[in-house]
Amino acid sequence: MKLQLLAAAALVVGAVGAADAHGPTRQKTEQTIEINAAPDKVWAVIGNFQDMSWHPAIEKTEGSGGNDKGAKRKLTLQGGGVIEEELNTFDASKMMYSYRITNVDVKVLPISNYSSKITVKDAGGKSQVVWDGAFYRGFPNNDPPPELSDEAAKKAVDGVYKAGLEALKKKIEGGS
Amino acid sequence: MSARAAIVAFGLVLAGGASADEAFVTNQSSDDLSVLDLAAGEPVATIPIGGRPAGVAVSRDGARAYVTSPESKTLSIVDTAARKVLAQIPVAGGPLGVAVHPSGKPVYVADWYNHKIHVVDPDSKSVTMDIQVGLSPSGLAVTPDGKTLLSADRDSNEVSVVDVATQKRTGRIKVGDRPFGVTIDAKGERAYVANVATNNVSVIDLAKRETIATVQVDERPYAVALAGGKAFVTNQYANSVTVFDVATYAKLADISVGDYPEGIEASSDGAFVYVSNWFANTLSRIDVATLKVVKEIPTGDGPRAFGLFIRKTP
Repeated sequence: MKLQLLAAAALVVGAVGAADAHGPTRQKTEQTIEINAAPDKVWAVIGNFQDMSWHPAIEKTEGSGGNDKGAKRKLTLQGGGVIEEELNTFDASKMMYSYRITNVDVKVLPISNYSSKITVKDAGGKSQVVWDGAFYRGFPNNDPPPELSDEAAKKAVDGVYKAGLEALKKKIEGGS
Repeated sequence: MSARAAIVAFGLVLAGGASADEAFVTNQSSDDLSVLDLAAGEPVATIPIGGRPAGVAVSRDGARAYVTSPESKTLSIVDTAARKVLAQIPVAGGPLGVAVHPSGKPVYVADWYNHKIHVVDPDSKSVTMDIQVGLSPSGLAVTPDGKTLLSADRDSNEVSVVDVATQKRTGRIKVGDRPFGVTIDAKGERAYVANVATNNVSVIDLAKRETIATVQVDERPYAVALAGGKAFVTNQYANSVTVFDVATYAKLADISVGDYPEGIEASSDGAFVYVSNWFANTLSRIDVATLKVVKEIPTGDGPRAFGLFIRKTP
């Protein structure tokens, strides 16, 4: 029992260290989608840090702090897995918020030191939603295994963004 | 216009230019180095590098730029006037921060993974020595007298003091959490260290070898530039530059720049500060007197410009 506790403690300490460490090459990505609806209407769906239900991969959003800087949310994914995030900036007048991941297992998302921004822009009466991400690969050292490489990180984040944006378009244009 | 009048007019343009500086900006995503004419405010050349270039150090005479590529584990020597890579030297581990001795050699390369500084002789193109420092050394800077090298040791929360003559660490200075960029003032009296995790800047008195002030800035500070009695600090997550007075430590401004500002340095005449915006793919020019962004210059993809990236052209 004691040994198990010690082992668990060591794992936690190790995880904290690993979460902070990262490789030297930051990755970036940007995905956009045009939605045939006014920007206000789109922002009304995504402009709440405490509600990520518009994304099909998210089963549940729990959090605290509303839309204030430093607000927290815990996203539970369909089929398990958890992502914890913190709000950096929220600007309703610019229809934009930015946030970072504070805790995620690389098995859920193979990244580290992830930060992101989502913005709704006016595109001649329609909307353009822009989702930016900045992150390091999941492996903090040189010569990563393929599943924790720069490419794997970018592919995973792009997948999350594309799935979310396409579902958002469908939800709003479909009127559901 | 006669040929003579044209020459005179040309001479006036040159003399009237704000500076004849050039920037050598490492573009990590596009794997190259942008050369920007800072007087004209436009790109003039792109030099392929490879290996995801990040760190850069221009020699004091402006003839060379040294560029680190952490993914290929190399140091590139660039002829700045010819816009050409002269050599790529293999170095171990994860080369990131880089600095050149004021005399032109050696070149110091921080190894992020092996917790050492590699001493590189650019003439023989080889590593001549490894200096043990703290964990994950990041930013490097050499004092103007060439006697002391500083290393911001990110995972030790310390700055190492290295004696250049003996190539040994002779001191450790406690700073904030996750120190990254380090900048030494022109007199060699103080050093300014950006602490990524505690959102502040440690001001070090180099004679005393201790932190004498800690100045709060914004989210995830990366590096510091000095001009006109002011310190300019890039805040990666706040998309801004915090300016404070180096005598009183009073905050003077928060200037909005492009997304994810990183490398930052003053022009050779101190009139402008240039900020590399990693996500926005631009270099912002800040007027030191008015504290306003007065120009945006396009770069390659993912400009980091970590180190001293500006040269004064001859």
